[in-house]
Amino acid sequence: MKAVGLRILFYLAVVLLALIVLLPFLWMLISSLKTQIDIVAWPPKFIFSPTLQNYYKVFGEQDFIRYFINSTIVAVFAVGVSLLLGLPAAYSIARFSQRRLAMVILLARLMPGISFLMPWYIIFSRLGLMDSYVALVLSHVLITLPIVVWIMSSYFETIPLELEESAMVDGASRHYIFLKIILPLSGPGIITATTLSFIFSWNNFLFSQVLSMEKTRTLPIAVFNFLSYADIDWGGVMAASVAIMAPALVLTMIFQRYVVSGLTMGAVKG
Amino acid sequence: MASLQIVDVRKAYGPTRVIHGVDIAIDDGEFVILVGPSGCGKSTLLRMIAGLESITGGEIRIGPRVVNDVPPKDRDIAMVFQNYALYPHMTVAENMAFSMKLRKAPKPEIEKRVSEAAEILGLTKLLDRYPRQLSGGQRQRVAMGRAIVRDPQVFLFDEPLSNLDAKLRVQMRTEIKQLHQRLKTTTVYVTHDQIEAMTMADKIVVMHDGVVEQIGAPLELYDRPANLFVAGFIGSPSMNFLKGHLQGGRFVSDSGIALPVANAPAASDGKPIIYGIRPEHFILDDTNGLSAEVSVVEPTGSETQVFAKFAGSDVVGVFRERVNAKPGQQIRVIPDPNLGHLFDEQTGKRI
Ligand SMILES: Nc1ncnc2c1ncn2[C@@H]1O[C@H](COP(=O)(O)OP(=O)(O)OP(=O)(O)O)[C@@H](O)[C@H]1O
Ligand SMILES: [Mg+2]
Repeated sequence: MKAVGLRILFYLAVVLLALIVLLPFLWMLISSLKTQIDIVAWPPKFIFSPTLQNYYKVFGEQDFIRYFINSTIVAVFAVGVSLLLGLPAAYSIARFSQRRLAMVILLARLMPGISFLMPWYIIFSRLGLMDSYVALVLSHVLITLPIVVWIMSSYFETIPLELEESAMVDGASRHYIFLKIILPLSGPGIITATTLSFIFSWNNFLFSQVLSMEKTRTLPIAVFNFLSYADIDWGGVMAASVAIMAPALVLTMIFQRYVVSGLTMGAVKG
Repeated sequence: MASLQIVDVRKAYGPTRVIHGVDIAIDDGEFVILVGPSGCGKSTLLRMIAGLESITGGEIRIGPRVVNDVPPKDRDIAMVFQNYALYPHMTVAENMAFSMKLRKAPKPEIEKRVSEAAEILGLTKLLDRYPRQLSGGQRQRVAMGRAIVRDPQVFLFDEPLSNLDAKLRVQMRTEIKQLHQRLKTTTVYVTHDQIEAMTMADKIVVMHDGVVEQIGAPLELYDRPANLFVAGFIGSPSMNFLKGHLQGGRFVSDSGIALPVANAPAASDGKPIIYGIRPEHFILDDTNGLSAEVSVVEPTGSETQVFAKFAGSDVVGVFRERVNAKPGQQIRVIPDPNLGHLFDEQTGKRI
């Protein structure tokens, strides 16, 4: 009896949690298909004639495609740079137990992003790099690099040391071992790190808002554009949000299996 | 192939000293087994030979070359790990070819060596499989194959059979021995299983708490253990020990029982002594035997193990004869006077 009660409670909790997470998203999706009048109607309308008008607006009036390309460029390069720097760093942290270095990197993640903005603004404007991809990618690396290092260092720790020792005795150098033994065995970890850091970069608003202007503006800023009109175009905001979330969502769904196993893989061994 | 010299080698992890000056000389082509209880430093010593642990003090020479500061990849050794350490993303053939590929051996040469090794180990049909598709015993063979393709100066094995079931272990023991007779490569083999050590080794090194207790041929250690530790460690069931002293060429136990001892040193009279006798060196003797109270009888068919109280101590005897005693009954046994061992109680050294 007690077990059944607990079970029901458990499912209730699951449903509640799912609702909390999903409701805003559903709300967003539905609203993006409504007209401005339907959106602000009270009580909320659940039966309405859906319209794609908001989406036309997003892709038509705004230079949405350009923002999309900008976001892609920034995210791809930020993730690329992070993997390039982060994989060797994570390996060295895992194998030479450089906990202190790991802490420093984590610290960069713990500090509010806004505290980096002023120095960056000054540095990049002096260098004439405002509104450049370079500035934006570098700023995003601050977010993505710690993710890569953190996930990958705990992943590398789960790879048995004997594999490396065996390779060493067989005649391999450290570099060779890293490239030919460790990396090929790190697929799930790398996919996890890539997916998560891509999403974090993709969704970043703050850095893009300050460091980019017309040329390099990214997607989250596009949403903001709908807010800056005299009256807020909720339909546009919602449609833009859906359009922005879609790639991240698709990415997550494709790699979900790896992401979950990659995250726990590191978690099992502390 | 090469000889291997270990000279006064020491190892410390920070302040913790785990190996305290070990000297071992291994001839070219010899099969040497390091044996000892868990934590005595066998793996550590082996890993120092491989170059996977730094050497705190002393010298290791492979052939004429001091290798203390030579990285593992340049030591020209091959090692088989306890968990085999096969590369999961490579096939059996790729696993075996790995070291030769690294040494930039020509491709036909690699293929020839891999297929030869596979032939020897019965892996020919498995060459395209991945390690996860193999049984434990097959993995073990692949690990061996990986070591033998390259013809290194020295083979190192760290408890290679401990993950196998009992039957397979016995079989692999013979195979490894045969392999060595065929290849004649200098081998250092670590195990904590003294039967493995006895059956496979040309020379056994018994280690205990980071020091070498004795080095010698298996039967040498068995027949003339240098001290109490080796006496107790080598042999199964292990040697029985009785406390007492010598008196007039006989051993007198603390419980007052006198046992004959062949050529006892007269000078040691009265000194505290430990008398050791192997289980199979008890003789059933109804006329001259001393009484022993039986506690357990374990017949194995070929022989009978008898646990009994003898001269005030618990002892075990192994007899080729059938023993029909029941627990609680008395039997009459006598240790073979020529095969007793005497040890100084203070130092533990053989007298
Ligand atoms: N990294 C380390 N730091 C401190 N002490 C260590 C370290 N590695 C091993 N030791 C100690 O060194 C001693 C010898 O260890 P080693 O692994 O050589 O034992 P072993 O003889 O191989 O035992 P087993 O039969 O259990 O494998 C042990 O007491 C162990 O605790
Ligand atoms: Mg060990």
